[in-house]
Amino acid sequence: MSTGRILVIDDDPQIRRAMRASLTARDYQVTDARTGEEGLEKLRSGTYDLVLLDMNMPGMGGIEACRLIRSGSEVAIIMLTVSNTEKDKVNALDAGADDYVTKPFSLPELLARIRATLRRLPQPASHTDLSGLASKGVEIDLSSRQASVRGHASHLTAREFDLLSYFLARPNKTIVHRELLQAVWGPDYGDELEYLRVFVNRLRKKIEPDPSKPQFLLTDAWAGYRFHLPQ
Amino acid sequence: MTSLTNSAAPEAHFVFRQFFLKATRLAGRVLTSLAVIGAITFVFFRVFPVNATTTGFFYLVAILMIATAGGLVESTIASIAAMLCFNYFFLPPIGTLTVADPQNWVALFAFLATSLIASQLSARAKRRTKEAIARQHEVERLYSLSRSLLLTEPTRPMPKQIVQSISQAFEFPAVALYDRSNDQVYRAAEGDLTELDTRLREAALRSTLGDGASGFTIVPIRLGGQPIGSLAIRDSSLSDAALQSLVNLVAIGMERAASQEAVNRAEIAKRSEELKSTLLDAIAHEFKTPLTSVKAVTTDLLSDTTNQLPQHQRELVNIADEGIDRLSKLVNDAIQLARIEGGQFQLNRGIYSPNALISAALRQMKAFVEGRTINLSISVDMPPVWVDADLIQMVITHLLDNALKYSPSGTPIAINATSRNGRVIICVADRGPGIGEAEQARIFEKFYRGKTDRSLKGFGMGLAIAREIISAHGEQIWVASGLGKGSEFCFSLPVAQEGAATNEHR
Repeated sequence: MSTGRILVIDDDPQIRRAMRASLTARDYQVTDARTGEEGLEKLRSGTYDLVLLDMNMPGMGGIEACRLIRSGSEVAIIMLTVSNTEKDKVNALDAGADDYVTKPFSLPELLARIRATLRRLPQPASHTDLSGLASKGVEIDLSSRQASVRGHASHLTAREFDLLSYFLARPNKTIVHRELLQAVWGPDYGDELEYLRVFVNRLRKKIEPDPSKPQFLLTDAWAGYRFHLPQ
Repeated sequence: MTSLTNSAAPEAHFVFRQFFLKATRLAGRVLTSLAVIGAITFVFFRVFPVNATTTGFFYLVAILMIATAGGLVESTIASIAAMLCFNYFFLPPIGTLTVADPQNWVALFAFLATSLIASQLSARAKRRTKEAIARQHEVERLYSLSRSLLLTEPTRPMPKQIVQSISQAFEFPAVALYDRSNDQVYRAAEGDLTELDTRLREAALRSTLGDGASGFTIVPIRLGGQPIGSLAIRDSSLSDAALQSLVNLVAIGMERAASQEAVNRAEIAKRSEELKSTLLDAIAHEFKTPLTSVKAVTTDLLSDTTNQLPQHQRELVNIADEGIDRLSKLVNDAIQLARIEGGQFQLNRGIYSPNALISAALRQMKAFVEGRTINLSISVDMPPVWVDADLIQMVITHLLDNALKYSPSGTPIAINATSRNGRVIICVADRGPGIGEAEQARIFEKFYRGKTDRSLKGFGMGLAIAREIISAHGEQIWVASGLGKGSEFCFSLPVAQEGAATNEHR
């Protein structure tokens, strides 16, 4: 029984072989691609649950490939980066990746990230009253993972949706960084504040009428975030 | 001595030739005017005899014309000749040089006065015209100079091009320009002008006009009151105003060159920094790619939960795995050092909590920290710091790495963070053998690795890197240690100012 279909996009044949061997042994179905272009082609012709995407590749490169994948699909993306700098991590997340792993990584670490990324949160309690949002021109449809601001609709990725659901289930209450990270990303997380920063910004772009002046998804400096749900 | 005569002889010859040419031209003009007077005398005496008054008027007109066309000398000679002819041939008694009628004296003086006044007037008018033409030439040359200064090629030294432009535009036999910014003299002349250099420097320094010895005019060049150089010109016939304009043009040209050069230098520095960064990224990628596949393999084998791997094989894979970790750390260190070295790295500062920095560093060191006790002591109300997070995490990992390396494996390591006088102090302490006082001064040097244990792994760059990073933040790093007492490395970080919190919650 397969636990998920994974597309490995990396220009290095050794890494592709190691990934294929290790992941297949854990019951994942593995397909690989040598370049971003080939990966996009494979994504068009098949369905995948997750993409392992190398950041430094000849041709279009990982960041550009990530952006292109994200523009047409909500598939989970984990970026493999060489550099451990904040700038590269934020670039990867900004391009639409759900997570990143720094090379060289240990396999258990990668497997944990894959499991966390594929893990779906239980559907949020649907009794949250969203009519206050609707009165401000923001519609959120939890069943189809759609958000629309003044008629402009956008689709949420699974991780964005999980984060938003977590907020909506606990409106008007400050949620600290660690709690958010562990609830939405998984128990292994807790210090990756850049994840929150990037994902909150991504959510704001989809649900805030003016993302630079958020009305709903608010920052509580040094503590966490709070979802202001108008009554 | 020979060289002196050699250089003097052609000069004397030149002056003599000039004089000779001038004299010949004057003699020609005098002869022409005498011929005109002679012709009038002949015509009115022999061909159309008229009365003396008419002849006198004709003489007067001729002198007026000669004075206008020529100069004072030829008109004076012509008027004397006319007077003598008039007297001899036309005034009674004819054939003698005596003047019977006093009225004729009047005619004679009229000739002289006319010739004097007319020649003066015409000479003045001519001088004016000549001056106007000269000014016009100067303006044209200044214009062509300014144009050629604007069209200079950025690849060649600007002062050299300025000198050449001046000598071409004004056709001076020799021009020398002293540039104070690099203490160089640029010349456009045939022959040796080195004896000028000291005088050019003096003129630039004292900002005074140099003496005009040996045909040179030396002028200081100033910009905004500051002397920036001086200019020497041989045989300058320029008016003071034109000379001043020329010097101003040169000043602007030199200033433009200086700013251009500053821009170029900054551009080159930026490009080489970019190149270095690209190169380091490529090296990092090339080294880490094979490490990644090997690391994936070893960790996969070690993660074997069903315990299918015999004990000795597990040990062998472990050794390989540790080797990979060490190798990738070495690659990281070498790249970091290369990036930081030369002091030309940019701080990407933001507001961070010391907690987050320490836990991120601990996460990075997870593989090395395993099996060791780390005692964390961080006060809860720690203020945020204003730092480059990546670099400060690097400092913490280096200190942690040192503490792990230089202390026995059973002993704990303490990390504590306190805030004091607007600074946050982070310390990493171990219970190793400690460092003697003599050695303490040297441990922050590059490639220094402690006398006690040569078998330790690494380049000995960690503390050097840490010091570079901390001093780039304007802060301090120090060690407190004694033999047998363990070592405590501490560094300070600046607390983020209120209102600087543009970087959101971090």
